[in-house]
Amino acid sequence: MKRVSLSALGGVVGILFFLPLLWVVTNSLRPGSETFAHLKLSWQTFFELRPTLHNYSALLSSDVGRATLNSIFVSALTVIIGLAVCATAAFGLAAFEFRGRGLVFGIVVLSFLVPFDAIAIPLSTMFRDWQLTNTFTGLVLPGIGNGMAIFLLRQFFLGIPAELVEAGRLDGLGWFGVFRWIYLPLSKPALIGAGLMLFLFQWQAYVWPLLIGTDAKHILGPVALSNLQGQNFADYGLVFAGAVVLTVIPLVVIAGFQRYFVQSVSSTGLK
Amino acid sequence: MRQRQGLIALAFLAPALVCLAVLRIVPAISAVVESFYSESLLRGGRVFAGLSNYTDLLGSKDFRQSVGVTLLFTVLVNPIQVVVAFLLAVLFTQKAAGSKLWRTLVILPIATPPAVSAVIWSVIYRPDGLGNGVLERLGLPAQPFLTSSSQVLPSLIVLLSWIGVGYWMLFLIAGIQEVPVEVREAALLDGAGPWRRMVSVTLPLVRRPLAFVLVADTVSNLLVFAPVQILTKGGPNGNSNLLMYDVYNRAYALGDIHVAQAEVVILVALTLVIVAGQFRLLRGDQ
Repeated sequence: MKRVSLSALGGVVGILFFLPLLWVVTNSLRPGSETFAHLKLSWQTFFELRPTLHNYSALLSSDVGRATLNSIFVSALTVIIGLAVCATAAFGLAAFEFRGRGLVFGIVVLSFLVPFDAIAIPLSTMFRDWQLTNTFTGLVLPGIGNGMAIFLLRQFFLGIPAELVEAGRLDGLGWFGVFRWIYLPLSKPALIGAGLMLFLFQWQAYVWPLLIGTDAKHILGPVALSNLQGQNFADYGLVFAGAVVLTVIPLVVIAGFQRYFVQSVSSTGLK
Repeated sequence: MRQRQGLIALAFLAPALVCLAVLRIVPAISAVVESFYSESLLRGGRVFAGLSNYTDLLGSKDFRQSVGVTLLFTVLVNPIQVVVAFLLAVLFTQKAAGSKLWRTLVILPIATPPAVSAVIWSVIYRPDGLGNGVLERLGLPAQPFLTSSSQVLPSLIVLLSWIGVGYWMLFLIAGIQEVPVEVREAALLDGAGPWRRMVSVTLPLVRRPLAFVLVADTVSNLLVFAPVQILTKGGPNGNSNLLMYDVYNRAYALGDIHVAQAEVVILVALTLVIVAGQFRLLRGDQ
């Protein structure tokens, strides 16, 4: 009996959280003119019997479609370059003993204690001076030096036994070889976790793309979607289809790497 | 040998250090420095202005209202989100049918980018949107939501909780699952009821993740921007003019970049004070 009521309570809460998304998906499958047709709440508010993909095909040729491609490009670039930068740095911190290591580590920690959004406005003035507005470089750069990712990777690297490194050195590996052939292959879970962190940072960003990428060629998904919504004659079918695409892409990535996502989330808070 | 190691380590560290310095630390310092300057038309350029940007801000009624709204919002949103996240974490770690599925439904919205969530809720909160549809079905009168001075903050809190609660719940679920089974069984054998078990056993044992969630949640809520910019533009009557939006508005709509930098400094200082206070409180009663 107790289990049944707990399960029912959980179900009600879960469905309440899910309803807005279900509503968005349903409305993305019907013409924008019908968005407010089911105002009186009924089952039709959340289900469409004659779904059409019209909004999605319209999305392809719209600004939001192009902006979504930009988001994919910028996020992918951020993950690749960011992982290279963060992993080498974490290796430098984990594999060597040198004077000032504590200081360097302190800088890394300090850098992620300063919230990025708070410094986005001063940083955007600097980027304007360097003429990086409306460039992909300008959009990608702030995402690649992620102190939290360095911190996570370093924690993982510290667990790699010194004997392995010594053996590798005796076999004639240089330091880059040790990094490339010993550390990286052993660290896949940590690299995936850090990669997810870099991806989500960039995919969810709003303040920075709003400040730096405003022309049609460099606008990112969330900014384009909010512009669309701001227009008086907004086609809500298009708005909903865009919202679905911008949510499904990270959802697929998170679901694919679910195990590592939970690991990276919990290790930021608990360890 | 050590020195050689240092040089090699530096080579590996250099790209990241340059990024962190240029993209995080320099702008933070530059905000502080620029906040002491102002643009002078007469003398054609940047002149040292001392504390005048700060005194201008403190003298401005709009700014004082923005601070007040931000503090009120902080005091409301953080306890609500942390308590809800904790209760949901407890609920979803019970043995009950469908727990995993229901939990996933609560977590789903964290995949939606905040700006996209704001767009979705802008349609929900329309006078003819889903929000009033639900109220009507419950037999309640239609509400103005975002256009009402008294409803705008609660409306934002609901939207932000929809986005955030699942995320914070993940940390707390991880924390609860680390509570050893023996401890829970011992409490059960001692005849502690569910409420007692939650307050005296679970709660003290998830102190650390709970403290982390409270602090991280507070920081993220002090920086809320997208929902304000997309949904309310700070209105009505400045009642949702949170500091982060006020900074943006000052820098780009009003073009007052130096005063905006001073406001960034105040915002970060405020964040640090609140976070430090929370750390103290949480350590204090241990």
